Amino acid sequence: MSEKEQYAPGESIPFFPDHVKTEFKVVLGIVGITILVGIAGMIAPVGVGEPADPLNTPMHVKPEWYFLALYQLLKFTEGESGLLFAISLIIIGLLVVTFWPFLNPQKETNQKPTIFRLIITIIGVLIFIALTIWGEVS
Amino acid sequence: MKFTSLVFRKKPLHAVMLIGVFLVILVILTIMSTQALASTTKHELDLVKQNNPGSSFEKTKQIMVASDSSSTIPTSNHVITQLAMQDPCLHCHVIGEFSGIWTPLGRWTLFGSLGLIFAFGMYRTSSVILNRKTWKPLTVRAVEWVDERYDVTKPLTDVLSKPVPRFALKWYYCLGGITAFLFVVQGITGIMLAFYYKPTPEAALASIQYIETQVSFGAAIRAIHHWAANGMIVMCLAHMMRVFIMGAYKPPRELNWISGVVLLMLTLAFGFTGYLLPWDQRAFWATTVGSDIAGSFPAIGNLALVFLRVGWSVSGETLSRFYALHVIVIPLITVGSMVAHFIMIRRQGIMKPL
Repeated sequence: MSEKEQYAPGESIPFFPDHVKTEFKVVLGIVGITILVGIAGMIAPVGVGEPADPLNTPMHVKPEWYFLALYQLLKFTEGESGLLFAISLIIIGLLVVTFWPFLNPQKETNQKPTIFRLIITIIGVLIFIALTIWGEVS
Repeated sequence: MKFTSLVFRKKPLHAVMLIGVFLVILVILTIMSTQALASTTKHELDLVKQNNPGSSFEKTKQIMVASDSSSTIPTSNHVITQLAMQDPCLHCHVIGEFSGIWTPLGRWTLFGSLGLIFAFGMYRTSSVILNRKTWKPLTVRAVEWVDERYDVTKPLTDVLSKPVPRFALKWYYCLGGITAFLFVVQGITGIMLAFYYKPTPEAALASIQYIETQVSFGAAIRAIHHWAANGMIVMCLAHMMRVFIMGAYKPPRELNWISGVVLLMLTLAFGFTGYLLPWDQRAFWATTVGSDIAGSFPAIGNLALVFLRVGWSVSGETLSRFYALHVIVIPLITVGSMVAHFIMIRRQGIMKPL
């Protein structure tokens, strides 16, 4: 371990009780929201749809919202080669995301790369949202 | 110093004897009163039984209601004994009282805790008088007892006194913690739902309708499980973006990033398997197209498809498999990965931003 944490006095707070207290407040907030969700669920239950029927395909078949962008990408590409292209895009993307630390290990000295990554993230989120909305309305 | 030598140093059993005598008297009095009550009522009940053969609980209630409606208080011994006869909890209920479990339970709790406090006070006072020593709190004794055997204080202090840097107190540093906490929420509500859910094609939908309409707070629990699942995915992605933007994945934290990606995949797998469980049209067809995505992969596609669906189409077997994955396999792997993730953070500390 190269960078063993050594903090100057005043730069850190003790884990217990100071930091635990802060985290406890966050947990209380989440519990409060959870209870609100529960009350909303009592008023308007999540509910279930029609019973599953393998012989009757509904008009609009959609996966959950977090797979919708992926699904739309696959639906958008046409033909054998298009499908292969989309699939290889997904696999390469997955591999790049998983092993990203090994592709970009350089130490940084200024804020430039951070801002660059922020922009990349925003673009990625926008593409994801656009594909999801497209998948939702199509 | 040992607990025993501390408390019973000089006059070993005086304090215990005092409390013991007190408790014995209490128990004897209780038993005597109960016995007396029971024998009287039993005697009177036999009389009642002889006079009206075939008297039942319903009948007794009718007598009670009739005496109520005629606006006379049912003080008649006859009615009260008849009611007492039907009561299986005569040792808890005051005679003739049909208050269910809560009134006697409350009474037992109230007087029981008062009695315990009184007994503890007696013990403490006599111990101090007899030993001429300051009282050592029970918490201190418990900690010492454990510490003597397992030596926990020092490692625990080391863990708890770990410094947390001030730069890590911003709001965007708690996204990962929120994800972990939502996982706990999912675990608790998921166990609650699993008490009532039936993973068969015939009963799944009906059991969820039963949870939402019949089970107390069932609709709330299901809503929390449903929405916290979505929240967990959102928080997971937000945490990942935070780490990516700030460059916190850089060496020496590569493995932490990889375990995080694994955790994201597991969260998505949770969502994918959990979505099928209601077994309605939406769930069925979402799983069909979802496993189609897996099936469209080259080389391993068909294998993945058959593994997910247990056959070429989504069926009851798929439901059983997804249920087992959702409640046993994926949680176990997730807990393991989370432990690894946390230990790595703990060892390396939080990355210092520029």
